[in-house]
Amino acid sequence: MKRHGKGMAIGLVLALAFCSAAWAQDTIKIGVVGPRTGPAAATGAAFDEGIKLAVEYVNGKGGVLGKKLEVAFEDTAGAPDKAASGFERLVTRDKVVMVLGESHSSSALAQIEVANRMKIPFIVVEAWADEITAKNYRYVFRAGPSNSGVVNQTIAQWVKAENFKRAFVVAENTDWGIGIGKLTENALAKAGIPYESMITERNSQDHYVELTKIKAFKPDVVLAYIYGVGLHYFVAQAGETGVSPQAVVLDGAGPPSLWPDYWKNVGDYGDLECFVSSMHEKVELTPLAKLFREAYTKKFGKAPTDYKSRSIFDGILIAADAINRAKATDAEKLVEALEKTNLETTRGTAKFGLTPGGPDYHQWMPPMLVIQWQNKQQVVLYPPQAATGKLKR
Amino acid sequence: MLAISVMNGLVIGVIYALAALGVSLVVGIMNVINFAHGELYILAGYFSFLFASTLGMPFAPAMGLAVALVFLFGLLIERLLIRPTYGNDMYSLILTFILSIVLQNAFLLIFGPYPNKPPLWVRGASEIFGLFSYGNQRLAALVSGAALIALVFLVLQKTWFGRIIRATSQDRAMAEWNGVNTTRLNMLSFGLGCALAAAAGVILSPVFPVTPTAGVPIALTAFVVVVLGGMGSMWGCVVGGLLLGLVENLGAAFISSGYKNVFGFLILILVLLVRPSGLFGRAKL
Amino acid sequence: MTTSVKWIWPAVLVGMCLLPLGVGIYPQHVLIVSLFYVMMAASWNLLAGYTGQVSFGHAAMAGIGAYTSGILAAKAGLNPWIGIAAGTLFAALLGLGLGALCLKMGGIYLSLTTLAFSQILHIIIVNEYEVTRGTMGLQVPGLIPEYSKLAYYYILLAATVLVLFILYRMIHSNLGLNFRAVQNDETAARAVGVRVLHLRVLAFTAASAMAGFAGGLYGHYLLLVTPEIPSLDLQFYVLAMTVIGGMGSFVGPILGAFAINILAEKIRDYGEYHVLVFGLVALATARFAPEGLIGVWRSLRRRPAR
Repeated sequence: MKRHGKGMAIGLVLALAFCSAAWAQDTIKIGVVGPRTGPAAATGAAFDEGIKLAVEYVNGKGGVLGKKLEVAFEDTAGAPDKAASGFERLVTRDKVVMVLGESHSSSALAQIEVANRMKIPFIVVEAWADEITAKNYRYVFRAGPSNSGVVNQTIAQWVKAENFKRAFVVAENTDWGIGIGKLTENALAKAGIPYESMITERNSQDHYVELTKIKAFKPDVVLAYIYGVGLHYFVAQAGETGVSPQAVVLDGAGPPSLWPDYWKNVGDYGDLECFVSSMHEKVELTPLAKLFREAYTKKFGKAPTDYKSRSIFDGILIAADAINRAKATDAEKLVEALEKTNLETTRGTAKFGLTPGGPDYHQWMPPMLVIQWQNKQQVVLYPPQAATGKLKR
Repeated sequence: MLAISVMNGLVIGVIYALAALGVSLVVGIMNVINFAHGELYILAGYFSFLFASTLGMPFAPAMGLAVALVFLFGLLIERLLIRPTYGNDMYSLILTFILSIVLQNAFLLIFGPYPNKPPLWVRGASEIFGLFSYGNQRLAALVSGAALIALVFLVLQKTWFGRIIRATSQDRAMAEWNGVNTTRLNMLSFGLGCALAAAAGVILSPVFPVTPTAGVPIALTAFVVVVLGGMGSMWGCVVGGLLLGLVENLGAAFISSGYKNVFGFLILILVLLVRPSGLFGRAKL
Repeated sequence: MTTSVKWIWPAVLVGMCLLPLGVGIYPQHVLIVSLFYVMMAASWNLLAGYTGQVSFGHAAMAGIGAYTSGILAAKAGLNPWIGIAAGTLFAALLGLGLGALCLKMGGIYLSLTTLAFSQILHIIIVNEYEVTRGTMGLQVPGLIPEYSKLAYYYILLAATVLVLFILYRMIHSNLGLNFRAVQNDETAARAVGVRVLHLRVLAFTAASAMAGFAGGLYGHYLLLVTPEIPSLDLQFYVLAMTVIGGMGSFVGPILGAFAINILAEKIRDYGEYHVLVFGLVALATARFAPEGLIGVWRSLRRRPAR
């Protein structure tokens, strides 16, 4: 008994020692949240590249409020609980003044609650679920695609433009997947295109049974909302089971079709696959996009492929711009500055919607493209004014 | 739908059987459940990826080397972790459970979170009886898995070593009286159990690429198969594996694909309730 | 009990009450998480350390508590405190059922059955996303209207003290002697009239209830319930903390839970290796010092410095 008590006392001392950490602050810190591990870990790598370029760019132009900008990057692993605690850690331990990033809707939905509770401005960059902005939280912004934006402005328009007759919607069991799947079904119903849909497990490695069900429906387009390497299995097995090339497969997220191991995992079945993206090597919307491409190629010795590296770049520029205009780092001033954002980024001029009541509040939707792999070359199919070729079947 | 589900069930079932044979061997001889069985399966997948894709070896020697290395690793595990726990099967379970988490995180550190896929042996897909289209690599996995199982049975039935294994798993004390060095036999059979996991790993990794945590479902299914077939029964593994593969795939096709993996665990609890010794097990608990 | 012992427990308690006052919000969070793990490890220890039942379903029981209370609060608007009580009760019932199911099986079979239970639960949670929100995570209301780390700390501290008190009484009563007897030698225990099966089921039910209770509180602290609570990873942390602290000793798991959580934060500064590091520490402890930190401490005291 006595020994036990002493053991506890030692534990107590240990705990006290740990609690006495202190740090100095001569930079302005912002936080980035995103998956560096888990099924979409490649997005973390893309974010990393974008962060490096953005920090160099911002600090090269004089930094923020005369200080250097510093970014703390917290891994969220694509898991909502880790995302929420990672967000909190950035605010309480790293003392960041603003957080941006995220690429999983379920994680972002957990994080906006923390942002709202702790009153920390949060710019979501690549999590698409409508609810993120539809909740109309004062501290939450999105400088990136929303599900309804992608479906109604791009995917549904493309399906109509290509004159597809029968569509199959496959969505992963996450907020993003279920949300975008529903929106797609609504759009297809409105357009009078017969469709069927199913929900799938995003980490599943075996889609044979599901693909057999899909094949029985005889679709000519499969809209696959699977984010992560799960998409690679889906595309490869769609080829093996003969679902494609009868049906064109669209990767409704985009980046998985651009990841370095895409071709290794899907082999020849990857050709003629379509995907959405906000970046293409021949389509430059602003001078900054050109600058990004050159800086990226110089720094990493390869051309940028995953568009999410550019999305986070834009996000950091928007954040730095807001801090400079706010002339302060307190949350209220930052939110006011963000609401007045009017900044040219790589994807056009960023401006947040201010009408409350719907998903357009605090939302800026950049334009998206539909691209097809044709002999391992990217061909833009949609929108028509940016198209560099026609759909191949 | 029925045809392709049965086909899928057979392919997956053979792999289940192969993975479970290793667990069963170790349980039969040593009464030890190796929780890290799935991680050894994954390790072999990584080795074969490393040798074939990174170092450019042809796939067959790369696979052989991978299995051999995992066998040696198994001997090492037995010597360092398992041997001191004989007689306390709960402690070996705890040790191998911790080992499995350690290996998963070591894989994550070394190989990263991305799936790694050794090169395919064959490309493309074939029409089966004009019924459905099926990936050629999966067919190759089915054939080589079945061949390997046959080889294991041949060794167990026909060789002197196989007789010792069967004798020891039936009556350990009697085997010892008859001069079997059980310490060495333990080490060897643990290594062989690991090598069987590795064999399943190198056969299946071109179909289902390996990730740091992909071994968990493999190990869990192997446990289900071993309990279903009866602890320590080799035939039980084969029948149990095929049965589980079929039930899962038919269940996924006709009941619910989301609940595919629940069938195995339900079977496990049912078997334990109704007939704890499994289909082919001895009624000894 | 010697006189010098009498003041130690109250002193530790006072220390624990004062501990979060001088520190920042982040260390407070770490302490709250540590308290959750103290409850989990201490109650798992009742199973594995005192009755020799290595359950892999303890995290699943925490998940039962968290999801029961979370769903009742988020979908039916029930008061979280009533939800936690319901979750505790449900976990106790499932514990009773599982314990009874495993009555006749010993050792490995119990481990496999609890493993299967935890996997089935996981699959159900992921598939019934319309109710549980699956891997997306269920947003749940807090226990107190105004979010405050300090308040949560004291709630969790009170809960931990309660759980530890019950465990202490169970272990240090006649019942406790019987627990040890069951672990040490089942046949002998049976021979002297200890009703082994009843004791096992009792331990299983009590430990499950405690896990459900801890899980319910934890969910309402995180405000987000995900399948990470009933996961094998969380089960691993609980097991590792108990093994490192000292299985089968009362203080071991408490010490283990604090040591590991604080160590994990320290290691986190150097990268995401903390799981690997304490996996290795746990492996080394289990292999070379099966009685954990407490065992090492005891043997150091027994052997005075030369």
